[in-house]
Amino acid sequence: MFLNRSEGFALALPAALFTCLVFLVPVGILLSAAFQAEPGVWSLQGYVDFFSQPLNQSVFLRTLKLGVLVAGTSAVIGYAAAFCIVNLPASSRGRIFGLVVLPLMISPVARTYAWIVILGRTGIVNDVIVGLGLSETPIRLLFTETAVFIGLLQLFLPLMIISLVSAMENIPQDVVPAARVLGASWFQVFFRVILPLTKEGLVIGGTLVFTGALTAYITPAILGGSKVLMLETLLYQKVNVSNDFVSASVIAMILIVMCFSANLVLKRIASVRS
Amino acid sequence: MSRLTIWLILGTTLTFLIGPFLIVIFAGASAGEALSFPPQGLSLKWYAKVFTVESFRASFALSMFLAIFGTLTALLIGIPAAYALNRYNLPGAEAIRTIVAAPIIVPGIIVGLALLRYFVVPLDVTITMALFVTHTALVLPYAVRVVSSSLNNLRADMEEAAVILGCTRFQAFVKVVLPNIRGGILAAFILGFVTSFNEVPASLFLSGPGVRTLPIDMLSYMEITFDPSVAALSALLAFMSVAIVFVAERLLGFSRYV
Repeated sequence: MFLNRSEGFALALPAALFTCLVFLVPVGILLSAAFQAEPGVWSLQGYVDFFSQPLNQSVFLRTLKLGVLVAGTSAVIGYAAAFCIVNLPASSRGRIFGLVVLPLMISPVARTYAWIVILGRTGIVNDVIVGLGLSETPIRLLFTETAVFIGLLQLFLPLMIISLVSAMENIPQDVVPAARVLGASWFQVFFRVILPLTKEGLVIGGTLVFTGALTAYITPAILGGSKVLMLETLLYQKVNVSNDFVSASVIAMILIVMCFSANLVLKRIASVRS
Repeated sequence: MSRLTIWLILGTTLTFLIGPFLIVIFAGASAGEALSFPPQGLSLKWYAKVFTVESFRASFALSMFLAIFGTLTALLIGIPAAYALNRYNLPGAEAIRTIVAAPIIVPGIIVGLALLRYFVVPLDVTITMALFVTHTALVLPYAVRVVSSSLNNLRADMEEAAVILGCTRFQAFVKVVLPNIRGGILAAFILGFVTSFNEVPASLFLSGPGVRTLPIDMLSYMEITFDPSVAALSALLAFMSVAIVFVAERLLGFSRYV
């Protein structure tokens, strides 16, 4: 440790100042605009107006619902996949883990576009449906909540698996076999051994997936369009279509509050269980 | 659990995660005019077409510029900050850490809108400059975090020894610290590059006519055209990312740093 504090501050200053100037100040002003229906007049009118419109209500609820569904589903798949990965022999473990991480490095636009090819009118799924005679004409699969759900799940599942794998690696190796030998069913092993020992990983993964799904723009834009709006795509419309900056700031505030409270709630759940 | 169950679960999960890419690669290699899978005959014409679309070339150049110089700038201010946070017992270090990390916590679309309204417009900044600043701010948290963890693994006595032996603090940093955190810096650069190159939400509001990053250009292109060229371009971008990560992994064990 060096004791020359002014030297230390001088080194940290450019980064801190830069972030304040181009990030904290503009975002702070934007969020404060959510409390001013007219410039300079402080009120909660923006929120009242926003939530009084049925469209906005349904978009808000849909965003929340999709966030919960994606986080919950990825937790279920994530536990199964992470448990398998941890139990692989060391040689193949790294390779499989690499394949799970790989999609994170690829452009989300490219990742989401794949679903257009799969779910589109002339996509594979419709080819199969029409081919089997389940439907005469192609079914609309794109621009539905299901499409957005699938897209978000594929986008964020790796984050959950990574968090759970690193949590499970810390479980002593013989704990699960010991519980089995003592007569616990797999169900009991999961709820009484694995879950309590990995809940920190679950909280981290859950927060990442939930906030990721809430704040995703590309997936609802490509797979939902204007038929299945989420808060992010609604914000974009408010700015670019209706020039409604008060509503846009209100949505921004809602998104930030949702992200932070998700983290708090999940932490609370984790500490209650123990 | 039996081996069969394990591989069944992993096989299904990986098919869901990676399968769609394989489909995109083939959809882009179609000989037909419309996007479909299985492709109507194979050809590389859409892969070739990607390189002839003028707007793709311009937006690719812009994205490259932002990813390279945005990340370099972030490293330029991020390395000293990481060093200060690790080696000096600064009061308020936690606050500085939080400030610098803030850009990843706040959703990108909000960052973009805030910068457009309260930075670009009042200060009359050009769109390119605004994009550059935004991408630098978004990459900075990664730069500080990765370099910090690299510095954490390097014992401070080595620099102290260098200083006792007659180096100035700066010389000790350049001769002792830098060579030892080279791997971390390179990893931070790659992570920053990939983050910046793939970034969409924050750049959304910061795009003007003719000034667009590649992912945003793809988004608007796929709204008006339904040919396989976006599939081809998606596949090419996926190859690029995979190649970068693969080389990084081979050269320096990239995943240790992330």
